[in-house]
Amino acid sequence: MSVIELSHISKRFGKFVAVNDLSFSVEQGEFFGFIGPNGAGKSTTMNMMLNFIKCSGGEISLLGKKVPQYDLEVKKRIGYVPSDVRFYPQLRVQDLIRYTLDFHHMEGDKAEIDRYCDLFQIDRKKKFGDLSLGNKKKVALVCGLIHHPELIIMDEPTNGLDPLMHARLFRVLKEKQEQGVTIFLSSHNLKEVEDYCSKVAFIRSGQLIGVEDLSQINKKVKVITLKGETLPLEQMQTIGAKCIKKEDHEARFLYEGGLPQLFSTLSNLSADLDDVSVANRDLEEQFMSMYERQEGERL
Amino acid sequence: MTLFRLECKTHIKTLLIWIIVVGLLTLGLVSLFPAMKDMGLQQMDLKSMPKEMLKAFNLSDMGLLATIKGYFGYEYQYVMIATGIFAAMLGTNALSREESEGTISYLYAQPISRISIIGQKMLANSILYTLYWIVSMAVAFLVCLIFKESGASVSNLFKAFSQLTFAGWVMGLTFLAVGFLLSSLLSSNKSATSLSLGLVFLTFILGVVGKLKEDFQALVYFSPVDAALPSAVFKNGIEWNYIVTDLIVICISCLLALWIYRRKDLKV
Repeated sequence: MSVIELSHISKRFGKFVAVNDLSFSVEQGEFFGFIGPNGAGKSTTMNMMLNFIKCSGGEISLLGKKVPQYDLEVKKRIGYVPSDVRFYPQLRVQDLIRYTLDFHHMEGDKAEIDRYCDLFQIDRKKKFGDLSLGNKKKVALVCGLIHHPELIIMDEPTNGLDPLMHARLFRVLKEKQEQGVTIFLSSHNLKEVEDYCSKVAFIRSGQLIGVEDLSQINKKVKVITLKGETLPLEQMQTIGAKCIKKEDHEARFLYEGGLPQLFSTLSNLSADLDDVSVANRDLEEQFMSMYERQEGERL
Repeated sequence: MTLFRLECKTHIKTLLIWIIVVGLLTLGLVSLFPAMKDMGLQQMDLKSMPKEMLKAFNLSDMGLLATIKGYFGYEYQYVMIATGIFAAMLGTNALSREESEGTISYLYAQPISRISIIGQKMLANSILYTLYWIVSMAVAFLVCLIFKESGASVSNLFKAFSQLTFAGWVMGLTFLAVGFLLSSLLSSNKSATSLSLGLVFLTFILGVVGKLKEDFQALVYFSPVDAALPSAVFKNGIEWNYIVTDLIVICISCLLALWIYRRKDLKV
């Protein structure tokens, strides 16, 4: 079942098209990454999903109900962590957690609140306005998780978090995912998307560039780096390797074929190579090549 | 009703400050009454001024200034203007502040509809205003009892204050509702104070112009302050045509605010 379904959505602000004909879906239990450069339309897309702003065209469904007609029962099943956390500064952290539970008509499990506050090292007595950026983010995380949502939408959740809290957050999110919770994560941090997400959507200038299964990305494509006086560009081409970067004494290739064929080709070269490295293609590589390809098509 | 509680908690300090300031102002103004009466304020010669001008500024019957009702009625009109500003500010800030301060990203992520946001905010601010007004009127009544001239009837004064309480309450709700309408259009509260001041003074001036020129008499209906001027209420009782006009404005403003807020893109 699709928990999130975006069908040809677009958003215009006057003449500016922020999101254009965007379609993808997220299945239940997925840890879905949503990445793109600044101004790509990620936050606008999420704002449309949460009905902060209306779509200029297309349809969005969350948990089987169309936005904006979805009812409060659907909203109760969603947790949201905004990128820019600006909660009520005059309220103490404990009051904010209490209000969040009250909005959801929940009593709240004291042990669970304690667990989250201890885990993220939150001082509940402090006023929200007196907290640092990182601590504000932690409060937003607790408020987004405390009501046991089935779908968690997060916009740059690790901004301002130290590495320890970063690791703890993803441990909690992984636990949630194992319980069947769907997680939609927008991030600039490609490493965290690569480490935790099962699928990722790439967006640029409001348009979807692609949706990739990350496990497939890593398994299928290798990045081959060759260093030497004479680089075997032609031989690599014959085995289907695609040159993605070439300098004087170094070249990088994307290669989808079998490794025995690659090593056999390299061992038959007349000139010696100084260095050969074979690595899984990481998300950054994928991200850059997708954007460069689109840029090339534009030009 | 979580938002209702949150809204009340947010405004409680502002409410207390306004109550204290208006209470002290009332005490200060009314405490001058015995001295002003002894100085012969009512005998001040304003005959050289046009009658319309005196009427516009509620000075048409100088003799009344020798009574607590007359004196209070004249002085308190300025507090009525301040009350209008307070109510308008509550309204104009109510929705726009959430977007301006970014708290809407927390609020609207909760299971709450836009209708519920506006409804609970309207209710909370109406109650806060009502509380402010009841306390202010109670203070004013007590202060008037202390400084009233000998022979002034307490029951008469109570009746006059009851009518003023009602008329002033409707006036404040009118400004509150129009403020709400403005708030539903704004995505920042930076201009809320200036808009509130502008709204109250503009409508007050319309009332003054309406009283100055017979041809523009209809303008008085656009002035909620005129519907609740203490001197007029003490003299003529509640003028229901003004009250009905205010109630219509309240209904239209609230419905329009709901309609706009349900459709607008929230600034996150």
